[in-house]
Amino acid sequence: MAHSSRSLKAQLLRHDVLLLLVLALEIAYFLNFARNFGTPDNLSNIVRHSAEIGLLALAMMPVILTGGIDLSVGSLMGLCAVLFGVLTHDLHWASLPAASLTVAAGLVAGAFNASVITLLRLPPLIVTLGTYSLFRGLAEAITQGTKTYRSFEPAFLQLGELRPAGLPLQAWILGVGALGFYVLVHRTTFGRSFRAIGFSPEGARYAGLPVLWRTALPYLLAGGVAAVAALLFTARLRQARADAGTGYELAAITAVVLGGTSIFGGTGTVYGTVAGIAAIAVLNNGIGRIPAVLKAGIGGELASLLTGALLLIALAAPGLSKLLQSVRKQSTLPASANPSPSPTH
Amino acid sequence: MNRYFRELSVAGALVLLLALLGIVAPQFFEPQPLLSRLTAQVPTLVLTIGIAMVMITRQIDISVGSQFGLCAVLAGNLLTGGLPLPLALPLAATAGAAMGALNGCLVAWLGLPSIVVTLATMVTWAEVLRLTQQGRFINLPAGVQWLGLSQAAGQTALLAASLALLAAMAWLLKNRSGGRHLYAVGSDAEAARLSGINPKATTFWVFVFMGALAGVAAVCNLVQSPQVDPKCGTGLELKAIAAAVVGGIAVNGGRGSLWGAFVGLLLLATINPALTFLHVEAYWEKAIQGAVILLAVVADGIRSRRNAS
Repeated sequence: MAHSSRSLKAQLLRHDVLLLLVLALEIAYFLNFARNFGTPDNLSNIVRHSAEIGLLALAMMPVILTGGIDLSVGSLMGLCAVLFGVLTHDLHWASLPAASLTVAAGLVAGAFNASVITLLRLPPLIVTLGTYSLFRGLAEAITQGTKTYRSFEPAFLQLGELRPAGLPLQAWILGVGALGFYVLVHRTTFGRSFRAIGFSPEGARYAGLPVLWRTALPYLLAGGVAAVAALLFTARLRQARADAGTGYELAAITAVVLGGTSIFGGTGTVYGTVAGIAAIAVLNNGIGRIPAVLKAGIGGELASLLTGALLLIALAAPGLSKLLQSVRKQSTLPASANPSPSPTH
Repeated sequence: MNRYFRELSVAGALVLLLALLGIVAPQFFEPQPLLSRLTAQVPTLVLTIGIAMVMITRQIDISVGSQFGLCAVLAGNLLTGGLPLPLALPLAATAGAAMGALNGCLVAWLGLPSIVVTLATMVTWAEVLRLTQQGRFINLPAGVQWLGLSQAAGQTALLAASLALLAAMAWLLKNRSGGRHLYAVGSDAEAARLSGINPKATTFWVFVFMGALAGVAAVCNLVQSPQVDPKCGTGLELKAIAAAVVGGIAVNGGRGSLWGAFVGLLLLATINPALTFLHVEAYWEKAIQGAVILLAVVADGIRSRRNAS
């Protein structure tokens, strides 16, 4: 038992170290080859541009920890952005009540996902695939696919510009979000039950946990967070459109998986997810600053391509290393029984 | 009756919708536009056959739209480069099968969840396509559209070929051991393994076959217009999944038939033109598709809960 927990720890440690190594390599490479990468301006740029994906990833992490997935968060961002545009423009609401209602709508959408998944015990992937299409479709139907909402109240647009204490507001929001999810996942009984449910839902039920309600909570939170991300996105780009957040669910899932959370649920850390977010944010920013890429104008495509490839590698890595380990064990077994100190000593 | 409840209720809904159209918009049934509308669904039908098989094996593949786009652009570029048309089909199918093999390796041999694997390959292939093609359309040489036949003959040929494929695959799934293996693996992979089936190999080959079908579907789409749109595959995966789910393919694997998926596709394909005829805006398509997927899975969920209690 002691041995297996140690090797698990070693594995986690290795994953974290590996991720930090990737991050360091990225930074070293971009410092040398990307234009104006290391400037303070660009650092705050990286944070400003990664806040939405970062928030989605933080909210996705408990979902994946319980063994689920939420594919609808990117689409929900689009729907929330459009809803905010409708409230402020077509209905002439002030920004604050409109933003509050948008967040409430996000929570309702999250509650919808949660209740269909838990009450009817349907697989999260097909339910959120349905809402992925439904939310984006509603956003497109409301805007007729083309309408863009512009010219918001200056006070609202400040959300994208403010720099309290010299740091962009997004950095503060992301920091508070990370802290909040850290406390939820690592320091509360709720968080421990996410892990237990992801590890074995049946076991969690026999242990007396309210599995339904605790499986539902992460989806509810993800809905609310998607709405907040939509508001930040709208304030930063100064416009609200139906295609806000397209593909963000992939980036969020990638950050979580890169950060060492098992895609099968049960294990993972919030700080790993933060490191995963940083790796993706730096990649997205740095790629676009390499002169050749900049010249061809393919930064966005290349960044998405590498995100997809990164996710494939991060997914395949644990399986491949396990495969290699078993091969190595088979070849070394006859020579020496067990090179590491065994628990029987 | 109970066994085919889903197929029959979907067919009933389809008949009702068609009857409604017959009263409100009889012009829907004019032969030539109807034939065109049916032929336009052939690529989706081919994808739906594959998706249904993947879902019966208890997996999912959302990368088929991207595979479809890449195969279409590859075949289009080769055709403009002078490749004879009959060779386009095997080439596109091989390219698709190779992409399917990557999914299959990761899912079957490394045991990774298919939704995440195919999400990653979906984006990767879509971006490869965007990088290489940069949104450019490909003008196809003369003699490719409608296989060099007249439009009506070409449409009839495509429709007949796809229906023959559907019938053949439906028969294979129902009556041959290879087909039954999909159901066995989808119901309970461990039980299947204990009864001598290799679930990993079955899963792998289903993904390979799905990829090959994506290539075939791409060619079926390519011969319908004088140009290749590099975005032609976008969103097709959802259409195919929606058709399969509506047609009674269980999301938990092991249940459903290709004929059901076919009826599901017909229903979904009728909803959109019906909306146009009933003067509802076409922008609602994606929302309705999502709602229909949810409705179908919720109906399944309620039925299975009622059966359980």
